[in-house]
Amino acid sequence: MVTMFQEDNGTSSVASSPLQVFSTMSLTRPTLIPSPSSPFKDLKPEERGLYLIHLLLTCANHVASGSLQNANAALEQLCLLSSPDGDTMQRVAAYFTEALANRILKSWPGLYKALNATQTNNVSEEVHVRRLFFDMFPILKVSYLLTNRAILESMEGEKMVHVIDLHASEPAQWLALIQAFNSRPEGPPHLRITGVHHHKEVLDQMAHTLIEEAEKLDIPFQFNPVVSGLECLNVEQLRVKTGEALAVSSVLQLHNFLATDNSGHSPSGDSASSLPLSNSGKIDRFLNAIWGLSPKIMVVTEQDSDHNGSTVMERLLESLYTYAALFDCLETKVPRTSQDRMKVEKMLFGEEIKNIIACEGCERRERHEKLEKWSQRIDLAGFGNVPLSYYGMLQGRRLLQGYGFDGYRIKEESGCAVICWQDRPLYSVSAWRCRK
Amino acid sequence: MPVELDDYSTVSGDASVSSTGNQNQNTPAPQSLSKKKRNLPGMPDPEAEVIALSPKTLMATNRFVCEICSKGFQRDQNLQLHRRGHNLPWKLRQRSSKEVKKKVYVCPVSGCVHHEPSRALGDLTGIKKHFCRKHGEKKYKCEKCSKSYAVQSDWKAHSKICGTKEYRCDCGTLFSRRDSFITHRAFCDVLAEESAKKKLYPETYTRKNHLPEPELKSPPAALVDSPPSVALVPAPAVSVETEPEHDETETANIASSSVLPIRDSSESPENITLQVIMEEAPRRIGLNGSNDHNSNNNKSVYAGLFASSSTASPSLYAASSSTPPPSLYPPSSSIEPISLCLSTTTPSLFGATIQDPPPPHFLTPMSLPPPQPAISATALLQKAAQMGSTGSGGSLLRGLGIVSTTSSPMELSSSHDTGFGLGLGLPCSSGTGLKELMMGNSSVFDPKQTTLDFLGLGRAVGNNNPGGGALWGGGGGMDVFGSGELSDKDISRRSS
Repeated sequence: MVTMFQEDNGTSSVASSPLQVFSTMSLTRPTLIPSPSSPFKDLKPEERGLYLIHLLLTCANHVASGSLQNANAALEQLCLLSSPDGDTMQRVAAYFTEALANRILKSWPGLYKALNATQTNNVSEEVHVRRLFFDMFPILKVSYLLTNRAILESMEGEKMVHVIDLHASEPAQWLALIQAFNSRPEGPPHLRITGVHHHKEVLDQMAHTLIEEAEKLDIPFQFNPVVSGLECLNVEQLRVKTGEALAVSSVLQLHNFLATDNSGHSPSGDSASSLPLSNSGKIDRFLNAIWGLSPKIMVVTEQDSDHNGSTVMERLLESLYTYAALFDCLETKVPRTSQDRMKVEKMLFGEEIKNIIACEGCERRERHEKLEKWSQRIDLAGFGNVPLSYYGMLQGRRLLQGYGFDGYRIKEESGCAVICWQDRPLYSVSAWRCRK
Repeated sequence: MPVELDDYSTVSGDASVSSTGNQNQNTPAPQSLSKKKRNLPGMPDPEAEVIALSPKTLMATNRFVCEICSKGFQRDQNLQLHRRGHNLPWKLRQRSSKEVKKKVYVCPVSGCVHHEPSRALGDLTGIKKHFCRKHGEKKYKCEKCSKSYAVQSDWKAHSKICGTKEYRCDCGTLFSRRDSFITHRAFCDVLAEESAKKKLYPETYTRKNHLPEPELKSPPAALVDSPPSVALVPAPAVSVETEPEHDETETANIASSSVLPIRDSSESPENITLQVIMEEAPRRIGLNGSNDHNSNNNKSVYAGLFASSSTASPSLYAASSSTPPPSLYPPSSSIEPISLCLSTTTPSLFGATIQDPPPPHFLTPMSLPPPQPAISATALLQKAAQMGSTGSGGSLLRGLGIVSTTSSPMELSSSHDTGFGLGLGLPCSSGTGLKELMMGNSSVFDPKQTTLDFLGLGRAVGNNNPGGGALWGGGGGMDVFGSGELSDKDISRRSS
């Protein structure tokens, strides 16, 4: 006897006062609040999962329409059924529930801020979680592989190479590049890597690792750290010199630039639309700045999902699929009891989900969009697509097979690589050159 | 650092002054990567000019001086770079060919090997370093060990390596160099003993096939006959688990005869190491703990397991997951050797970083596969969307314990009773299915119903927001869950 909420007259649930509504609930339906687990004990996981989906959608709908009492009731049910250490659907539901709750809470900004005021940013945890993501998923590995391959191919014959990493957190990528450069037939070039990150410690660690490797291989190498957030980056800080061949690598960074207060500006979630993107905003300024540096190659790795719809419902529907896929990946690879898995789910995906669902405007930074939109945008900024080479794709596929990451696929979409889980596209890697 | 490409060609005994007319490459770019002809080391150019610099000059740091501003530089290339800044007119920019002669250098110290012109060095930096090393005072001392150096770059290079890389042989000797380590191991006595033991279980995942010899009889004959594949896995497992007493003698004999030549002498260390290796699979611990014979079984069993896993590669993963006693051989344990095996073959530069902790979270002792095949979240979503688009799924509601005793949902349900196929593989376009799930069925519920419908929200929201509300209307879909109990309930309540 599962019920959520009863209206005697079937009218809108936005009642005059919450207490009134609640009192009617308890008066007329004494069995309304079921004992915590009894109706749910005998639910099969499948049924429970479907029920969870239903609840999530319902709750989101209520949140969107402002009927907070209904939403609250839905949240209660959700909390009963979902759990961060249950099965996949339970976990996904747990984080979406939290996100929806946050969204409701944001209608009282003071309350929201007060509750989050004592949250501290733990840098080493961030770094650790990022590393876990690198280890548990092949996505970053494939991205680095394709990036390096694109850079190597475009830098054939170049003697002075400057690589800019827009979010320098993982040394593995550049270690591989250094080694690859070392073994190219014409010998290594003079290599300079500039890493941008907002935490100095991360850059120091990276510098240390890379310099050690380069000295071991005796390659002329320089690492320039730039401690800055990406959005306030001034391209002058990158110190690009004339005469050197420039490569830019952006891994999951560009979507942050789409965050803006202008509500009418981001187009609705219709990925098939071929509307020219007329919004000139942070992203275009940034792309133009990069274009001004005339990079020989720019490799962009981004999420390939439409999480930038203008309404919460759109975003919820899309992101449910995406994060269900990502959580499924974890389920098949990592045991449920793994603390690391829970960390990734909570601190990486959970935060993304929270941002997508609960935040709006400038705060909502996880504005993932489909590859097509990114391609248009980057093209508009004056870049031409460089199709990823056959060899690169081959290496990528081999990597997926070799590490036992079955379930993943790489497919090619107009010269770009899309990493999918089963059939769901998750991330895309594309390469661009400066088109004058 | 720039690659110094100087010519070396054969030199005769006398020092001739004539120049080779060889234009030095004064390219401003510090690295010119076109390979020049190199002579054999130790054989300087016969026509090169031999220069003997005084010790003072050799120790001096700034040999190259700019003619314009008299600034001194340690290297010729640096001087050239500096000269660019002076904006010299074209003519003066080039070095005239006259100036350039091939020079070779001798060490001024008589009695030194390089004092002979025939052993002259072609590189100025080289001769300077040589002079410092051999005839100079050792001013730089390593902090960690007792070595001292006269040349700063030597000292730096050493201190980077000192103590960083250590190879330890099993006999306890420590090495800093890989080559000496390898040589030692080839002759180390202690190692020879160990390798005999290692034949039992390839803990380093060597790819030796450890199938016992064909003279084995009885149930573990399955070990032998079947090709190195999955069949190996269940047979010994079953035999070990179900008939320990019966098999133990036989397998003990078999084991001793084939796989475990020196088992008798050193049983306990093997057990322990075996346990150490086998810590991944939880059930094995139970087996190990029983008695010696059982543990012998283990050895042969697991030798077989590793042998099979090593040869069969990816197919084993799929195969092993279907073996009858999944608890003994959880798929995760066979993933590891595969991934390690294959990762060594891929030209993976990530191997060092990724492989290093062989992903421990894959192999935690608690990594039991879920007791029932859990349906993935993606599949659930697709199912939900499917149900939404076909308007069916009422049995879900009833199945979840919603006692909806009125008949109206039933009547409506029958009208919606479409053939409902579980299209789990159906490519479901993004959110549309789920949207319909939400929107399509608000009409199903009679708003005036007073009994509890699924979430009660169907009616409330149905009125004010057509997009919300109950997701599932009535309808078929008894096969949604494939569970008999649900369909029974449905049948009892269906009106038609």
